[in-house]
Amino acid sequence: MSAAKVYVGMSGGVDSSLTAALLVEQGYDVTGVYMKNWTRDLPGMKCPWADDLADAKRVAVQLGIDFKVFDFQNEYKQKVVDYMIDEYKTGRTPNPDIMCNQEVKFKLFLDAAIEDGADMIATGHYAQVENGVLKRAVDDNKDQTYFLYRVTHMALEKTLFPLGGMTKPQVRTEAEKRNLFTATKKESMGICFVGSVGIREFLSQYVTTKPGAIIDIQTKQQVGQHDGAIFFTLGQRHGLNIGGGLPYYVVGKDMDKNEVYVTRDLNNEQLWRREVELSDLHLINQKPDEGKKLQVRMRHRAPLIDAELSGNKLILNEPQRAIASGQSAVLYDGQVVLGGGIIF
Amino acid sequence: MPNKTIYLDYAAATPLDSNVLAAMQPYLTDIFYNPSAPYQPAREVRVDIENTRASVARTIGAKPTEIIFTAGATESINLAFNIDGHVITTQTEHAAVLQAAKLHSGSTFVGVNEKGRVDPRDIKKSITPQTTLVSVGLVNNETGTAQDIKAVAKVISDERQNRVKNDNPTPIYLHTDVSQAVGILDINVARLGVDMMTLNGAKIYGPKQTGVLYLNSSIDLQPIIAGGGQERGLRSGTENVANIIGLGMAIEVAERKRKTEVERLQKIRLQLLGILQESFDELIVIGDQKHNSPHILTVAWPGLDAERILFALESQDILVATGSACAANKDTRSHVLTAMGLEPDIIDGSLRFSFGRPTTTQDIGTAAKIIVETIKQERDRGTRIRQ
Repeated sequence: MSAAKVYVGMSGGVDSSLTAALLVEQGYDVTGVYMKNWTRDLPGMKCPWADDLADAKRVAVQLGIDFKVFDFQNEYKQKVVDYMIDEYKTGRTPNPDIMCNQEVKFKLFLDAAIEDGADMIATGHYAQVENGVLKRAVDDNKDQTYFLYRVTHMALEKTLFPLGGMTKPQVRTEAEKRNLFTATKKESMGICFVGSVGIREFLSQYVTTKPGAIIDIQTKQQVGQHDGAIFFTLGQRHGLNIGGGLPYYVVGKDMDKNEVYVTRDLNNEQLWRREVELSDLHLINQKPDEGKKLQVRMRHRAPLIDAELSGNKLILNEPQRAIASGQSAVLYDGQVVLGGGIIF
Repeated sequence: MPNKTIYLDYAAATPLDSNVLAAMQPYLTDIFYNPSAPYQPAREVRVDIENTRASVARTIGAKPTEIIFTAGATESINLAFNIDGHVITTQTEHAAVLQAAKLHSGSTFVGVNEKGRVDPRDIKKSITPQTTLVSVGLVNNETGTAQDIKAVAKVISDERQNRVKNDNPTPIYLHTDVSQAVGILDINVARLGVDMMTLNGAKIYGPKQTGVLYLNSSIDLQPIIAGGGQERGLRSGTENVANIIGLGMAIEVAERKRKTEVERLQKIRLQLLGILQESFDELIVIGDQKHNSPHILTVAWPGLDAERILFALESQDILVATGSACAANKDTRSHVLTAMGLEPDIIDGSLRFSFGRPTTTQDIGTAAKIIVETIKQERDRGTRIRQ
C-alpha cells in the first residue's frame, strides 16, 4: 500500500518547515505547497513575498519533496482583506487570521489539495486534532486554537497538526537538529498582509476617515479629537491623544456621528459585560448541553474564563472588561475546542 | 566563504585580489588626507589618484582627463545617459542601462536574435536626426554573448558623416558597458570606436561600488551629483581614495593576466559544457557560442525547475545563478532570455555558471559530477503553479 499523500502548507517559517520534515520522517508522501496570498505592492519592492517563497522551496528541496505554489491572491483579498476592512468600517474589531483559516487554509487549500490528489493536508499550527476533535496544543504559550475554532469538523478530519504535541523551543531544537534552512528564522509578527506599517496606516489607505470628537461619557464634554472612529476599539487606553491626568478608556463609539466615547472610570458599566451575545456560532462537533460549565477565551492567549452557553448567549461567571464586538469568543471544554462565535 | 565551497557565480561578484587589497590598505588608515587639501601629504594623495587615472587611461587607450571615477557601473551608466535627445539601446542590457534609458521619453530598445546578438543594421534603422546616444554592452552578464561594438561604431560614424552632409549639428555618441569584459576582451576605446565606456570594479576583483566612466573629451555631459567639483565637476564628493587606488590596481591586474586567463577560462568552460552535453541529450546552450566571453556558460534543461537545482546545489556547497530570480513570478523571468525569444520552460530551466580566477579544472570536475547527479534526481520535480 502506498503512503498517504499529504500536502503541507509551507510559509517559509520554521514551524511549517519542521512540519514537512516530520511528516517525511513519518513515512508520508509529502508535497510542500506555498500559498500565495494577497499582498500590497510596496513601492520599490517587486516581489515582497519572494523571500518566504524561496525559503519554503529551499526546505522542500532539502527534504527532497515536490513543491507547488497555489495562487489564492484574489480569494484572499475578497474573503480576508475585504472582510477585515468592511468589519472595521462598521465599527467592529475583526480577526483576519480566523477568517484566513476558515476561508483559505482549511477550505480553499484543502479543496485544491484534494483535487490535486492529496489525501490530507497539514500545517504548522500549534493545535492537536484527534478524529475530527480539535484540542489545545501542549505548548500553552503557543496554542493557536483561538484562530482555528471556525474550521469545520470535515476539514479537521483531513488535517494533521504535527507540532501540536511540541513546544516552540522543541520545534527550534528539532529544526536545528535537521539543519533546516529556516531553523533560526525570526518569528513573523502581526497581520501578514498589513506588513510593518501597522493596521492604522493600512486602514487609512482603504477607508476615508474624518477627524471627530472624543466625548467623556459622564460629563458629555468633548475632551479631545480623534482622526477616525474606525481606529478605536472598546477598552483601548492608548493613542487617544488626550494629555494629562488619569487615563481615558474607550467605552463606545458611534460610527454615523463619528464620535468616540471615553471614560476615566475603570468601573464604568459600559466597559464591563457579563452576558455576551454571539453571532455566527460555529460548533465543531455537537452543541454542549445547556448549562454545562465551559471555558471561554476572547482574545488569543487571553486567560480562559468560566462561562456557560445559553442559546446564542454566553454567560460569564464574572463580568469582563473591554469585550469588543467583532472579536471571537472561543469555547473550550478543558483541552477540547468546542467552537465559538463572533461577539455581537 | 567556506573552503570547500565551489563558487560558480563570478559574473555576480568577485573577491578582492590580494594585490588590490594590499594597494588599498594604506589609504584606509595612514594616508587618509583629503586630496584637495594644500599640504604636502594631501598633495601626495592627489598624485596617487592622478597616477591611477593615467594608468587606467593607458589601459583603455584614452587620455587621463577622459577618466571619471564613479561609485560603480550603475552610476557611470546614469551619468552617460544624462544627455538630451533620443536614446537607443538593446533589449538585453543590464537593468542599469534599461532603466537609465527609460528616464528618456521615446527611447528605442532594439531586439536581438535568438543567440542574443544585435544586428547593427537594426540600430542603424532606429537612428533619427535627434538621436544623441546609442548604448550597447560589450558582454552580456547573463549569457556571456559579445556584441560587435566595432560594427555599431561604424554605424555611428556613418551617421556622423550623414549629419555633416545634412547640416544637422546634433552630436551622436556610442556608449558601451564593459563591466563583464575587463580582463577578457579588448577594451581599447579607439579600437572599439566608442565615445563613452563604463567599467566596473566589483566584477574584476576590485572593490564594490567602484567604476569608471570613460568620456571622450569632446563630450559635454551634465553632472548628476553636484558639489565640490571633483572629477571635472562631473562627480562631486571627496574622492574615495582607497577605492580608486583599488580599482586602478584591479584593472591593471586584469589586463596583465588577460591572455593567460582567457585561455584558462576557455578550457574550463569547455570542460563543463562537455560533461553536461555528454550527460544530457536535452541540454540547450544559450547565447552565441562564437562570440562570447569564456567566463560565462548559460545552459538550460527545458521543463526543469532551475531554482530547485540552485537550492540543491547550494546545500552541496556549489553556488550558481538562475535565469529567473523569483520563482512563480513571471515578472522576474530574465528579460535577456525573454528578448532572445526563449520559451518560459527553457528560461525557468536555465542555469548560469560563471568562472573566475580561483576556479580550477579540479573544481569543475568535482562540481560537474554533483551538478549532473542533482539534475538527474531533480529533473522530474517541477514547481507547478495552480492559478
